[in-house]
Amino acid sequence: MIELERLTKKYGAKTAVDGISATIKPGIITGFLGPNGAGKSTTMRMIVGLDRPTSGTALVNGNRYAATRAPLAEVGALLDAKAVDGGRSARNHLLALGATVGIGKRRVEDVLASVGLTDVAHRPAKSFSLGMGQRLGIAAALLAEPDVLLLDEPVNGLDIDGIQWIRELLGELAADGRTVLLSSHLMTEMQLVADHLIVIGQGRILADSSIQDFIEESGGGSAVVVVSPDAGLLAPLLAGDGVTLTTREPGRFEVRGRTAPEIGDIASGHSLRIHELTPTQASLETAYLQLTQDSVEYAGTTRKAA
Amino acid sequence: MTIALERPVSTHAQSLARGIHSEWIKVRTLRSTWIGLATVVVIMIGFGALAAAMATGSVTDPGGDGGPPFAGAGPLGTALSGANLAVLLVGVLGSLAGAREYGSRMITATVTTMPRRWQVIVAKSAALAAVMIPTAVIAVMGAYGVAMGILGANGNATVALTDDGVLSSLLGMVGYLVAVAVLGLCLGSLLRSVAGSIGTVVGGLLIVPALASALLPDSWDKVLQLLPSSAAASFTEVGMAGGSTLSAGAGAAVLIGWVVALMAGAVVAIHRRDV
Ligand SMILES: Nc1ncnc2c1ncn2[C@@H]1O[C@H](COP(=O)(O)OP(=O)(O)O)[C@@H](O)[C@H]1O
Ligand SMILES: [Mg+2]
Repeated sequence: MIELERLTKKYGAKTAVDGISATIKPGIITGFLGPNGAGKSTTMRMIVGLDRPTSGTALVNGNRYAATRAPLAEVGALLDAKAVDGGRSARNHLLALGATVGIGKRRVEDVLASVGLTDVAHRPAKSFSLGMGQRLGIAAALLAEPDVLLLDEPVNGLDIDGIQWIRELLGELAADGRTVLLSSHLMTEMQLVADHLIVIGQGRILADSSIQDFIEESGGGSAVVVVSPDAGLLAPLLAGDGVTLTTREPGRFEVRGRTAPEIGDIASGHSLRIHELTPTQASLETAYLQLTQDSVEYAGTTRKAA
Repeated sequence: MTIALERPVSTHAQSLARGIHSEWIKVRTLRSTWIGLATVVVIMIGFGALAAAMATGSVTDPGGDGGPPFAGAGPLGTALSGANLAVLLVGVLGSLAGAREYGSRMITATVTTMPRRWQVIVAKSAALAAVMIPTAVIAVMGAYGVAMGILGANGNATVALTDDGVLSSLLGMVGYLVAVAVLGLCLGSLLRSVAGSIGTVVGGLLIVPALASALLPDSWDKVLQLLPSSAAASFTEVGMAGGSTLSAGAGAAVLIGWVVALMAGAVVAIHRRDV
């Protein structure tokens, strides 16, 4: 469990994290979502005491991190996969970190095997690809079986297999009763992994809710795109309480408030033709973008062709 | 794919001893450590041997007048001709030990595993001293042995370890090398930059003493005695930059004072600053 209490960090005049209060619970995966520069990394750095809060507190399992007995066994953190001394082999890197809490060769070999780095563990870390570096970072985070895992953009640089692997891994860790906080600036990543979402923008919490609630609160849930030559007949049949229909083009409309099976059943009940019936999660991405729109720090600018 | 945590690992409380163990693993698993230490040994013994050979006249300085250039240095000074260069190199090694993790950002992992941060400075210093002490002993005693061998074989004057002050100056030299390594480490940690730290070590040990004694009036001599290089000259009896009028004991105390002060500074800084 992580408890943040009006956590604030200022760098000179710049407020990176602005009075964040939240509780990150064990047993689920909490996604920490926000555009670049929102303050995710700074918050995570304060949790493990790398940055000193300007004010407020961050507690890990009820204690300040610096006061914990066996830090590596309390919190496993992957904050920057590149933060490794490139001249040292992966194995020796883990041995050195593990030694701080009395972990030795056996466990290091186990972890190397579980992240799939055994064959390259003798190689200097500087020869690692971004994906291998991420795996080494995850190995370090898992080394002492911590209760709490902090992963800052862990999916960056991983291929599809790697992403799948992280997703399974985090699921197991959460199911095991551990606290898992992972950050990302992409909703698409989060909706695949997280159970709970904390959205921040410009250092403030914009939303703190389960994925389900987030979807429901943000525009009536997921939509179903319907393509039908009988759209004109079908649409009135779908109408009802809490159902919205949006027509995009003739013969194609979007339904919120009804599931794809419901729509299919209604259509077949009236012998109406359906050519396409596609549930979309677009609303989640859209909701996120709308939520954070006002807080994007460096909005992209389109360069006009000369 | 099998994942993660099949059997529980036994972990133990993090302690200074475990921190030192961790830093010891780090020191010995970098190839650059061993290359650097070997270079210190080669420089000390190589320069000592070369100077001894030149002193016997069997090797002459091609640019000089043909006379033995180290004739005036005395046997011990001849043996330790590599000292000034070795001291600088050791300062560089210390700077690397203190600052290199700031370059790679590995320091974030180090500080998260050792959040009682004073331990980071102490553990790194202990691990560095653990390799520096034997290295300095081998380098200094090796230089002494080789140089005396060459001098003696050619009928030049030699000194024995049992002669007055010889062993203590050699041990003093060992102590100076170790102290400079730790000074470099603390500077590296304070400045968080290998280059900045090396510059400060070279400036502080070589340039400042030379410039100050040349430019400042004699009334400053008492202050200049407190520079690390002058303090060390009092107990190494090798002409380090500066020269010394302090007693050996006072010089040692001054040098230890420098180490303690910089280490305290490094500890305060690592606690105060964000990583
Ligand atoms: N060491 C620092 N000094 C000054 N500003 C910083 C520092 N670290 C982060 N910031 C600023 O704080 C804000 C939050 O950064 P960060 O926590 O890295 O965001 P995120 O991880 O969400 O992308 C950004 O505006 C960033 O520029
Ligand atoms: Mg970040």
